[in-house]
Amino acid sequence: MHRFLTALTSRPWLVFAVVLAISAVFLVGAARNTRMETDLDEYMPKDHPAFVYSDEAEEWFDIKDGIIVAIEHPDGIYNHGTLSKIKALTKELQKHDRIDRGDVTSLYTADNITGSEDGLDVRAFYSKVPESESKLDALRTSVRANDMVHGRLVSEDETVTLIIAQIGDEAFSQEFYREILDLTAAYEGPEKLYVAGRPIVEGPMAYLAPKDMKRMVPIVLLVIVAVLLLVLRSPKSTLFTMLVVVLSTLWTFGLMAWLAIPIYAVATMIPVMLIAIGVADGIHIYGHLGLYQRKHPGLGARDGASEMIRGMWKPVVMTSVTTAVGFVSLLTSDVYPIKYFGMFTAFGVMVAMVLSLVLIPAGVVAFGLPRAKRARPKREGTDDVALRFGKGLMRHKRLVVTAAIIVVVVSALGATKIWINSSFLEKFERDSDIVLTDAFINEQFGGTSTLNVILEGADEGVMKSPDVLRLMDEMQTESETLAEVGSSFGLADYLRRINMVMHADDPAFDTIPESTELVAQYLLLYEMSGDPDALWRTIDYDYARSNVTLQLKGDDSKTINSAIAVVEKFRPLFEELGVEINYAGSGYKSLIFTDLILKGQVKSLVLSLGIIVVLLSLMFKRISAGLIGVIPISITAVVSFGAMGLLNIPLSTTTALISSIAVGVGIDYAVHFMERFRVAAKSTGEVLATVVDAMHHSGRAIMFNAVVVIAGFLVLLRSAFPPNRALGVLVSGNMFISLLGTVTIMVVVMVQTKIFFKKRS
Amino acid sequence: MKRTGVIAVLILSLVAGSVSAEELSGLELAEEPSALELVESVYNRPDGEDMQSRLTMTLINSRGDKRVREIRQFMKDFDDVEKKVMFFESPADVRNTSFMNWSYTTVGEDDDQWIYLPALKKVKRISSDSKGDYFMGSDFTYDDLGDRHPSSDTHTVLGQENVNDEPCYVVESVPIEEEYIYGRTVSWIVADRWVVVKKDFYDEDDELLKTLTVDEYGEIDGYWIVTHSTMHHIQREHTTTMALDDVQLDTGISDGKFTERMMTRGL
Repeated sequence: MHRFLTALTSRPWLVFAVVLAISAVFLVGAARNTRMETDLDEYMPKDHPAFVYSDEAEEWFDIKDGIIVAIEHPDGIYNHGTLSKIKALTKELQKHDRIDRGDVTSLYTADNITGSEDGLDVRAFYSKVPESESKLDALRTSVRANDMVHGRLVSEDETVTLIIAQIGDEAFSQEFYREILDLTAAYEGPEKLYVAGRPIVEGPMAYLAPKDMKRMVPIVLLVIVAVLLLVLRSPKSTLFTMLVVVLSTLWTFGLMAWLAIPIYAVATMIPVMLIAIGVADGIHIYGHLGLYQRKHPGLGARDGASEMIRGMWKPVVMTSVTTAVGFVSLLTSDVYPIKYFGMFTAFGVMVAMVLSLVLIPAGVVAFGLPRAKRARPKREGTDDVALRFGKGLMRHKRLVVTAAIIVVVVSALGATKIWINSSFLEKFERDSDIVLTDAFINEQFGGTSTLNVILEGADEGVMKSPDVLRLMDEMQTESETLAEVGSSFGLADYLRRINMVMHADDPAFDTIPESTELVAQYLLLYEMSGDPDALWRTIDYDYARSNVTLQLKGDDSKTINSAIAVVEKFRPLFEELGVEINYAGSGYKSLIFTDLILKGQVKSLVLSLGIIVVLLSLMFKRISAGLIGVIPISITAVVSFGAMGLLNIPLSTTTALISSIAVGVGIDYAVHFMERFRVAAKSTGEVLATVVDAMHHSGRAIMFNAVVVIAGFLVLLRSAFPPNRALGVLVSGNMFISLLGTVTIMVVVMVQTKIFFKKRS
Repeated sequence: MKRTGVIAVLILSLVAGSVSAEELSGLELAEEPSALELVESVYNRPDGEDMQSRLTMTLINSRGDKRVREIRQFMKDFDDVEKKVMFFESPADVRNTSFMNWSYTTVGEDDDQWIYLPALKKVKRISSDSKGDYFMGSDFTYDDLGDRHPSSDTHTVLGQENVNDEPCYVVESVPIEEEYIYGRTVSWIVADRWVVVKKDFYDEDDELLKTLTVDEYGEIDGYWIVTHSTMHHIQREHTTTMALDDVQLDTGISDGKFTERMMTRGL
C-alpha cells in the first residue's frame, strides 16, 4: 500500500492530471444533474404505518395545509371597504391556478344557516357588499349569532378576519409565496394584511437552510483558510489541505448528481462534515512532516513526501475508515435522505483520505517542501507545553478521572431532560415576520397549526350514532380547555348547529340529536342545503370515519403532544363503542418524522460505536484498545446531549445529526493519538516520554485541527438561520470536548491500563 | 424574397379560408332556428302534464366510493309553476324524508322549497339565495335539471355536430347575470327531439368545470325522457349518476300531492 503511494509521488503531474480529470467529470455531473428536493413530504418514509395512515386520511377528508391571510382593520371589519377587500381577495385567490376554487374559505364564501319557527334559511353572509349602516349592522348581528364563523373567521373583537386557502403539498413554491405576498400587499391600507399558515412556514424552510449555507460556507472556508495559514504557516500546505476538502465535497456532490439522487436539505450538512473531517488528514500529515523536517534539516522533497506517507498512511487510513463506518451506520435509518447523507458522507471521507495521501505528497514533490520554520525558540516553547502538560496530566490522574466522571454524570442527567422538537416555526428568528404573524393570528383565533384526530369505526354508519357523537363533542370540549388548543371543529359542530337551527335557533337544542335517524336526516339536509364539501371534510362516505380538527397555538412537539394526551384519555371510551383513534396531518407527520430520525440516530450511534470498537480492536490487535478508543466519542456524545438538555435546546433533525460529527471527528482524534502513543510506547517504553511524545506529535496536530474547525464553525453564529447557529455552537463544542477527552481521560486510561507497554517480566 | 412569397400565400389562403367559412355558416344559419329558439324548444319540450318515477341517484367520489339513494318522485306542471315532491326510500335511516320544490316560470322568482324530516316530525321551509344550489348534494344544480329559464342567458349557435351518430346543434349560453356559477355552458341539442345529450360547463375563468353526458334517453308515452345521465364535476373530482325507472306519465296525480301535509304522510 504505502509502496504504491510512494511510487505515485515520482509522477506528481500525472497525479494532478488524473485528479483534475476526475474532478472535471464530477463537476460536469454536478453542474448538469443537481436537483434540489424542497418538498418535505419527499423526506418521509412512505411505508411507515403512521404516514400511510395519515396520507390516507388526508385523502379521505381532503386534509390540506392552509395559507391564512388575516385582514385587520383597527376600527373593525364591518365597513364597506374592508368587506369589499375580503370579497375581491377571496375571488383572486379562487382564481389562482394553484388554488382550487372550493378550497378558499372566508366570510364571503361562508354559508350562514339560520332557523325560525317554520323555516330554515341558507345563504351567504353577503354577496353584494353591504353599504348602508343598517345592512352592515345586520351582517354583524348574523355573524355574532353563528359560532361556526364568529371566533373562527372573524375575531371576537371584530377587528380581524381570515381568508383561508388550502393548498396541496405540491402547490407551494418560492414563486407562489412571492405571488401571495404581492397579492396581499396590494390590499394594504388602512387594513393591515398578514400571511401565515404551515405552508408559509414550511415552504421557506426547505430553501432557507441551503440558501443560508450557501452564504455561510464560503465565509467558513475563508476563516478556516486563515487559521490554517496560522497553524501550518505555509500557503502551499494550506492550499493543498483546502484542495482536499473542496475536491472531496465536489466529488461527493458530483457522484450524487450522476446517480440522480436529489439534494435534500440534510445534504447541506455534507460539506459541513467534510470540512470538519477533511482538514484533519492534511493537518496531521503536514504536522508529521514538520516535526520530521526539524529533526532532519536539509531534507529533500522526494524524501519528505515518502516520509509523510510512511509515517502517516496508517493512521490516516485508520481514522478515515472508522469515520466512514460511523457514517455508513446511518444506513439503518428509516429516512432516505439520512441514508443518503450517511452513504455519501462516507464516500466523501474516503475521497478525502485518498486525496490526502495522493495529492498532498504529490504537491510536496511538485512544489517543494513547506519552508522550514525559523522561529526556533517559539517551537521549543511548544515542546515545553507538551512536556508540562504531560507531566501535569500524570500528576493529576485522579483529578482527571474524577472530573470526567462528574462531567459524564451531570451530562447524563441533563440528557434525560432533552426534548424533541419538530417545530418549523422555531427555526425562524423570534422577531421575523413569519413568527410575529403567526403569534398575532394565534392570539386572535384558534390557532395556525392543526392536528387531525381521525375516528374510525368498524361498521358503516357508526359516526351517526349519538353516543359516538356525544363522546366526540366531549373530547373536543375537553381538548379546548387546554391553553394550547384554541378551537376544534368536527361533525358534532355541524349537528349541534343544525339541531339548533331546526328548533328555531333555540340554544337549548345546541346539542347532539337524540337518535341515529335524526342525525342521518340532518346530515342529508345539510348536504342538500348547505355546503356538502365542507361536510365531507369531517365525515367519510360510509359514515364510518370522522375527522376532528384541533386548532393549535403552536407547531412544536410539546403542544401537539399535550393535545394528543387529552385525546388519548378518550381512547378507551371510544374503544367501548368500537371506534379507533388515529392521527393525521402534516404537524403530526413531522412529529413522527422527528421521532423516527432521533430513534434512527440513537440506533446508528450505538451501532457505529460497536463497529468502531471492533475495528479498533482489530487495528491495534487488542480489545482494550477498541474500548479505550471510543471513550472520547462516548463522552462527547453524552456531553453534547447533556448540554442540550441543560441549556433547553430541543433536539431537532439538524441537531440530532451532530452526533454523527461527534463520532466522525472524535474517532479521528482518538485514533491519531492512540497510534502515535503506541509507536512512542514501543520505542521509548517509558510512560512520561510516551505521553510527551504523543502530545507533542499528535496532540499538537489534534489541537490545531480542533482550533481550525472551531474557528470555522463559530462563523455560523453569524448565520441568519437559527438552526445553523445551533449547528455552529454544537459542532464547535463537540470538537472541543473530543479534543479534551482525547488528551486527558483517554491518555490517563491508556497509561493506567498499561496498554501498549510491554509488561515487565 | 422566397420567404415573403410564402407569407403572402399564407395570408391569402387565410383570408380566402375565413371568407368561405363565413359564407358556409351563413348558409347553414339560414336553415336553422335561432339560438334562442333552440334553447326555448328544449325548455318547452313537452314532458307530460305529470310524471312519477323512481330516481336512483348515485354519488361517486374521487376514490370511487359510492352513495346510493333511492327516491320516489312526483312532478306536475301547473300554469306558472312546476311542482315536484320526492320521498327517500333508502338508505333506511332517511326513509320517508321528503322534499318539495316549486319552481316558477316567472324569470327571477326564487324556488320555494320544503323539507320534512320524519325523525323530527316537522316540515320546514328552506329559503336560500339559490344561485346554483346543488340538488341534494349531487353534482347537478337545480338549473342543470331544467329549471333555468332561456332568457337568463344569451345564446349563440356554434355549429352542428354529431353525438352518438345523432345530429346536434351546438349552442353556447352565456349568463346575463354577473355572478353566476358558470361563465358559460355549451349544449349539444338533438335536432327535432330537443333533448340535450351533452353539456359542458365552464367556470368564471373559462376552465371546464363539469360535463354532463346523457347515457340513455327514450320515448315514453310519446315524450322524450332522459332516463340515465352522468354529471362529472371535474374540479371536485366527483360524479353523480341519475337513473330513472318505473316512469309513468300523465297518470293524473292530484294537486293535493304537492302539499306540506302530504309530505308528512310518507310512502
